[in-house]
Amino acid sequence: MAPKETSTKRPRLAAVVTAYKRMLHPQHIVDRFLEGYGVNGVFHHPEMDVVSLYVDQRTGEGDLTQERADRHPQLKICSTISEALTLGTGKLAVDGVIVVGEHGTYPPSPTGIPMHPHYEFFEQITKVFRDSGRSVPYFNDKELSWNWDWSKKMVDISHELGFPFQGGSSLAVTWRVPSVEFPLGATANEAVSIGYGGMGSYDFHGLETIQCMVERRKGGETGVEWLQTYRGDNFWKAYQEGVWSQALVKAALSRSATLRSGNSTFTNIFPTIEQMKAMVPNPVAYHYQHRDGLRCTMLLMGGMVRDFTFAANIEGQSKAFSTQMYLPMPDGRTTLASFFTPLVYNAEKMFLTGKAQYPVERTLLTSGLLIAGVDSDSQGKRIETPHLTAVNYQPYPESSYWRS
Amino acid sequence: MLTRRRFVRYSALSSALLANGPLLCSTFGQMPTKRPLRLAILGSVYRLGSALQTIADRFMVGYPHDGEWHMPEVQVVSLYVDQRIRKAEARPTEFQQAMAGTLKAPWLQAGPGLPGAQGSRRAAVVPPSEVAQHPPEELGPMSDLSESRAHQFGFRLCRNIPEALRCGGNRIAVDAVLTVVEQDDYPRNDRGQILLPQYDFFQQCAQVFEAEKHAVPYFNHKQLSFSFSEAQNMVKTAERLKFSLMAGSSMPVTWRLPDTDIPMGARVQEAVMVGVGSLDSMGFDALEAMQCMLERRKGGESGVKAVQLLEGDDVWVAGDEGRWSKDLLSSALSRSDTPLGLTWLDGRTQDLTAPGILPQLVKDPVAYCIEYTDGTRATLLMLNGAIRDFNISARVTGHGIVSTQFFMTPAPNETHSACLAAKIEQMYQIRSAPYPVQRALLTTGMLEACLNSKHRLNQRLETPQLAVSYQPPAESQYART
Repeated sequence: MAPKETSTKRPRLAAVVTAYKRMLHPQHIVDRFLEGYGVNGVFHHPEMDVVSLYVDQRTGEGDLTQERADRHPQLKICSTISEALTLGTGKLAVDGVIVVGEHGTYPPSPTGIPMHPHYEFFEQITKVFRDSGRSVPYFNDKELSWNWDWSKKMVDISHELGFPFQGGSSLAVTWRVPSVEFPLGATANEAVSIGYGGMGSYDFHGLETIQCMVERRKGGETGVEWLQTYRGDNFWKAYQEGVWSQALVKAALSRSATLRSGNSTFTNIFPTIEQMKAMVPNPVAYHYQHRDGLRCTMLLMGGMVRDFTFAANIEGQSKAFSTQMYLPMPDGRTTLASFFTPLVYNAEKMFLTGKAQYPVERTLLTSGLLIAGVDSDSQGKRIETPHLTAVNYQPYPESSYWRS
Repeated sequence: MLTRRRFVRYSALSSALLANGPLLCSTFGQMPTKRPLRLAILGSVYRLGSALQTIADRFMVGYPHDGEWHMPEVQVVSLYVDQRIRKAEARPTEFQQAMAGTLKAPWLQAGPGLPGAQGSRRAAVVPPSEVAQHPPEELGPMSDLSESRAHQFGFRLCRNIPEALRCGGNRIAVDAVLTVVEQDDYPRNDRGQILLPQYDFFQQCAQVFEAEKHAVPYFNHKQLSFSFSEAQNMVKTAERLKFSLMAGSSMPVTWRLPDTDIPMGARVQEAVMVGVGSLDSMGFDALEAMQCMLERRKGGESGVKAVQLLEGDDVWVAGDEGRWSKDLLSSALSRSDTPLGLTWLDGRTQDLTAPGILPQLVKDPVAYCIEYTDGTRATLLMLNGAIRDFNISARVTGHGIVSTQFFMTPAPNETHSACLAAKIEQMYQIRSAPYPVQRALLTTGMLEACLNSKHRLNQRLETPQLAVSYQPPAESQYART
């Protein structure tokens, strides 16, 4: 267990979040820095201090901001983002920034994506960076922005100012059951993920589930040429016509621990397609092609599963490569959303080493795919994605998912 | 014992049935040369969510395994469900119904050719066809599913165990046996043990095996018996009759978070396991999971020399005195995804081993203290109120602390039992158990000894009877692929 006090070198962090209430992302993430958490077989206390907290929305019942500040005297509640970063000194006074833009109450965009303030937070934070002539590592939970231009700009500015920038979904870093990794440099022609939840939200998790795996393929990431969204009857038509591989769907579902039985007297039986139709009222598929020919499909099949699974055809493997990205979900199954543990642990590593633990271009691509998925749906047709063909990057060879 | 007497009666009944030609009809005639393995399933209760339903169904509809929906090369040919027979037995006989004027049998309706007298000869034996048939969609959550499954999968519902093995013929007509005996309404003894009739099920099978000089692989879910001497007898019988006997629960073979095991042949100084549930049932699963890791220590398993079951404040005092390691407890709890208390209240992470928290959360703590013959110590802490999952931590010389969670997947799927089904199927196919039955035997004995300790006011008990030695399988047997 790490000692509580070591030296004056402990990084000081600012947290900039939407709302601090029970079971919201800010609570899961910032609490781990404040209270410690179980990882690697010990109750671990991060060797860094969250010294300031900006909470965008403190209205309504259940705000935990004051309670946390009362128990953690080093934590200062700030009324502006600038104050949280400068601590009244007039210039950047922290060694890292934790941004959680998920949750809170924000209106939907014209295409229906919740307009979470990732970009607005980013603008204010990087203004302090610019004004101070200094930048520090930046953790951004989940997607970059609901707006593609802003997402792109965030990555560009991080390169311009030269600060480590890391984010994305916990799906990319959580336990895998089984604990396997996509072989680096392998060739794959098709991949699927199956998850649950709705568009503009859990689709991001499904997209990250795929991307953290397929980015390791031969040649690295080449970008995405086009995307088509299928919903409702179109989804089932495409399913039956084999637009995406039914064999891969079966392989992925064979990794699910929550596959609902289509027959009320069985508890674990593979459903027929007719039973799937009855169980899944709002199916969604984002079907897209990468520039090197890889085809991927992100499926949301809420009503039938409550977990995220992945399957791909990998050249040279006799059967589908598959796993579950396991979320110990506190919806009755657990009490602790432990999938935030590897997200925070990787963020800690970034704050300590000054190096991102996985490429932010992954998150840029998945943010863009989410927006394209919603756009394709609203336009009712396949859309070309030239802006996503430009997202090319190489994976980090070392795996960053939770396995110890 | 109540259950034992009941079984003797069934045996007598089965002989009577064998003599009664018309009631018998073999469902199997010619078999193709490469036929699927024929399976007899024996259990207590086939109800949605019962262990029998969860496990047995997998041999009918397949199960998730190794990245595929695996369909076993197995055909279920017969099913015996103890509850059905006991219910049928408890029902008024046709004679009693006729006397009470409640019998609705067609041959008692007004009309020509009233046969009358034959009715009472059939006594408590209610042929399955007379049990009301419900279309599956009308079955309630507590309904017996045997009838529906038998219909759907075309197997024979049997009135007793020998019949299930012989499928209505006069010779064993199955290639393997699956038994899942679980609590339905079996009585308890004064030590709180449920008198589950695993031994009786086994003995009935063994009698048939012995009589016919032909034995088949046998799986027994969870403990072998509530009694260690019966369990020993089962293992000896299987050795004598030379058939594969495998026993145990899902916990040793399910996924682990992280995917890790005790290094084979390493010296283990101490282990602490944390779990929840009843002393008897979940106590077995947790002890067995602990055992499947500890048996890999240097020298293999050499047995247990003493046990003690502590309760209440004595559990915490034992921790203060160093009888179990607080570091290992902290490590085991760090693997839990289900801390209660403040996590439940406002979502925060918390170190449950901070002073005062566990005694506040756990009203009735229990520690199963196990002293192995070779000096290794292990403690299972049942912490109802603090967590809801099963985690272990062990101090291993040269490897530091090894800790993991036994991933018990959520209901209703309980895919952890698919991991077990895969091991059972492997045993049936290769006629050899992937891990020794001595693991379940020793665990059965540890549990019985701990409950004896509880009964004797938590005394430490020497356990010379638990000198059970065995070598672990060379490869880890939990789910990894």
